[in-house]
Amino acid sequence: MTTSAQNLSSGSERANAQSLSALPSIEYDLVRAHVFASLVTLVISVLFGILVATKFTFPEFLGGHGWLTWGRLRYNHTQGIFFGWLGNAFLAFFYYVVPRLANRPVLSRRLGWFLFWIWNFAVVLPGWVLVVAGFSQPLEWAEFPLIVDAFVVLAFILMVFEFVLPFLKARLSDLYVSAWYIIGGITFTMLAYPVGNLVPELVPGARGAAFSGLWIHDAVGLFVTPFAVAIAYYVIPATTRRAIFSHFLSMVGFWLLFFIYPLNGTHHYVYSAIPMAAQKGAIVASAYLGMDVILVVTNLLLSLRGSSGTVSKDLPLRFVWFGVVSYLLVSLQGSVQALMPVNRFIHFTDWVIGHSHFAMIGFASFIALGGIAHLWQRIPGTRYNERMMNWSFWLLAVGLTLMVTDLTIAGLVEAQVWQSSAPWIDSVRAVGSYWLVRTLSGLPVLAGFVLFWTSLVTGPRLSEAITSDISRVASEDIVAFESASLPSDKLSSTGWLSYAHVVAFGAGVGFFALSFLVLAILPGKELEDEIKRVAPVTMPTLTASEQGGRVIYGREGCAYCHTQQIRSLAADVRRFGTPTEPWETKYDYPQLWGTRRIGPDLSREFNLHPRDWQLTHLYNPRLVVRDSVMPPYPWLFDGSPGQPTQEGLDVLAYIQSLGRARQLSGFDRQTLASSVQLETPDMAMASEPSARATPPAVPIAMVGGYSLSAPVLHPALDPADLQEEVSRGGMLFAANCASCHGSAGRGDGNASASLLPKPANLTAARFSDERLSSVLWNGVAGSAMPPWRQLPTEDLRGLVAYIHSLHLPSAAPSMQEATNLNVGKSLFAANCASCHGDTGAGNGPAAGALSPSPTNFHLKKPTPERAWDVLENGVPGTAMPPWRSQLSADQRRTLVEFVRSLYGAPQENSGQ
Amino acid sequence: MINLIVIAISAIMLALLLVWWRWPALRAWIEAPKYSMLRQERRFDAQLNETRTRNELFVDGGHA
Repeated sequence: MTTSAQNLSSGSERANAQSLSALPSIEYDLVRAHVFASLVTLVISVLFGILVATKFTFPEFLGGHGWLTWGRLRYNHTQGIFFGWLGNAFLAFFYYVVPRLANRPVLSRRLGWFLFWIWNFAVVLPGWVLVVAGFSQPLEWAEFPLIVDAFVVLAFILMVFEFVLPFLKARLSDLYVSAWYIIGGITFTMLAYPVGNLVPELVPGARGAAFSGLWIHDAVGLFVTPFAVAIAYYVIPATTRRAIFSHFLSMVGFWLLFFIYPLNGTHHYVYSAIPMAAQKGAIVASAYLGMDVILVVTNLLLSLRGSSGTVSKDLPLRFVWFGVVSYLLVSLQGSVQALMPVNRFIHFTDWVIGHSHFAMIGFASFIALGGIAHLWQRIPGTRYNERMMNWSFWLLAVGLTLMVTDLTIAGLVEAQVWQSSAPWIDSVRAVGSYWLVRTLSGLPVLAGFVLFWTSLVTGPRLSEAITSDISRVASEDIVAFESASLPSDKLSSTGWLSYAHVVAFGAGVGFFALSFLVLAILPGKELEDEIKRVAPVTMPTLTASEQGGRVIYGREGCAYCHTQQIRSLAADVRRFGTPTEPWETKYDYPQLWGTRRIGPDLSREFNLHPRDWQLTHLYNPRLVVRDSVMPPYPWLFDGSPGQPTQEGLDVLAYIQSLGRARQLSGFDRQTLASSVQLETPDMAMASEPSARATPPAVPIAMVGGYSLSAPVLHPALDPADLQEEVSRGGMLFAANCASCHGSAGRGDGNASASLLPKPANLTAARFSDERLSSVLWNGVAGSAMPPWRQLPTEDLRGLVAYIHSLHLPSAAPSMQEATNLNVGKSLFAANCASCHGDTGAGNGPAAGALSPSPTNFHLKKPTPERAWDVLENGVPGTAMPPWRSQLSADQRRTLVEFVRSLYGAPQENSGQ
Repeated sequence: MINLIVIAISAIMLALLLVWWRWPALRAWIEAPKYSMLRQERRFDAQLNETRTRNELFVDGGHA
């Protein structure tokens, strides 16, 4: 707009304001400012989201610096959408609609600008900067740090003055439903926000999780939903010029929403350690919420009766209509996802992510966009490009549909893999292509948002009068109502009904308090009592280093991919171990339970992976797990996995402490042996067979466990079958083993530089079927070699066959033949038997204390070069020392021949 | 917990239905806001239309 045009416009606005002085003024500058801020922050937030999504496919992308790591960007993505985009969009709508509904201006223009600056320059912008700088709070929908939270609360208090006071001053006895949603949303969010953000910092673990669950849902239920529905209830009649179908139904929907939504929170923790009564209450409330949404959407769609032509022609209304339909679908989807038979499979999967995108884009964003477009057409002097907005609508609709469908399928695929015994990484591999499609689907969404923004600043300046044919019908509606409005007057004169809204509002506050009582305070008390009753007397607290690591763990968003709650479900118990007990989390300030699993649960990480593996994995996960999508954390190291900084060591210490208290306390043995009764699963849990079952001694993920049931896997004898097994084993080896053992099996994979002991050189020894089977089944204790027993037997057999094929028969040894094995036997007995045993079966007196165990030469025949090298240099990372200073070269040659001669000899007790 | 929620919600819904059914005057009273909202919307639209008309006249007149 040129300066002269602005002057003309503002001068004209002043003239009109004088001529229509009965109407309250609308702060159009504040509307424009918030619209602009909402769209800027929207585009930035979506860019954060696309970066986050891209990192699933390209984990190294922008992964070299902490400021751009996945976790921090993920925090900024959701907080930016919540505060930046939706917050500003809703505020813009409030400035437009509150004077119309209250027939009074907002409280203060100056206060409005103060609120604008606080919202954007004390909340959104510093929140983003602080999060990427490493200052955040690892709580879902509460990621901005506490200092920012203080400004959020201040902003909500200011909103009460700015937007709620005009309604109270107006003393309107007939508040329209949109006004109710605005008043309710502001008031209840102001009350819920500090509880959801502050209490988990003060109340630990499972008890804190109960409060977190409340806020996770209150953020959507008390902030996003009421304001979006307020827009829908406003834009529909304002566009069609017809009254909504039923104001009575709209009020029933309003109060049910505020009664029920806060009761939903715990459905994020179904099958968790939170008392079952609270979980079931939340599930029932979720079902009721679905019914409430059916009522609200029915009322909204009936309000569009006879206006299908308007929906297709009027773009703002079309946005709102799309949002209303999405509201119905996503709410019913959420109700179904909360049901136990469904939740047990799909919780933590990408379907839940698809659900939240459906809610935030399909429902809230579409309606907010419709609201902005609607009010924009009614601001003097604005431009509007209908063609571009039409493109925006279709790009958003197509992108969203693709994204939600894709994430839904990805979630179902993950759920299926998690139910199996396949390695965790298989679920990551299975959905890799879906993550790529999700990223691509974000592009039309981004383009749609950019075009929407563009459509508000290009195109012709609006000059057409706001009228439509339907307005005549509306007039008839009003006339008909006014002529029959006597009963209403009579009612008002009775007096008590004028307090009905006050009573209803009191009831709303009561239900809000009830939600905290029944879903957080009472379950928290129950948890506290249980913790006192069953917690081991000696439970170590975290050391300073572990506590520091915990802060970094939260800062980097680790809890957004790794849960720390094993649910009472067969699949969880089989894969991760015993279900999480409330007492295990009693020092967790705030809780880090998580609500999603991209990586495995970490509750039982104590003793699971050795230090060298953990550090290598932190430095670059793909060094040890080829297809991992976990971000690298090089800023926790001084250039290599072997040189962690203090922060790196702290994270390592924290991760290795997870589950320590459970394991060291002997809690499970005591519980089984004593009469101590934990909270017993009820009828719903009875359908979960493993909930009461003793978990396997060695869960799928456990490293270095030992099972006597290890089968001996013999490759096929038939050459054709053997070839097939070798081929199958080769593919499995490349996917699962080559990171450490190298593509040719020489023990020189990418991770080998930082692992001790080094991965085995599989070409330098011949292994028996029994040895390979045992290692594949149990892993190698004291090394980074994990068990692979979760693979199907035919896969393990293929690996055995493939590893056999790697062994290269050695050429005749270059060293002089040692002919006297008896000399070798004497040397072995004198120097090696204490560890390797008299017969070389790896079962000497000292073997029990060694990890990894000494080699059993009956099952492994090293090449002469390898055996010589070991005697020369020892095996770093094990108890095997170099012998070159103690034994002469001839003696060592003799020993080489001797140990090689042991292979295949019968053994009485080979040990492991 | 479940009983509490079910009883509370059911009681509220039943009470609302009874009031709706037995008290026609309340229906008129509670439906009133949807009409006042439309009336208010018409007033603001009239204001906007007047603004735009004046703008057009003013701009056209200024350049004529």
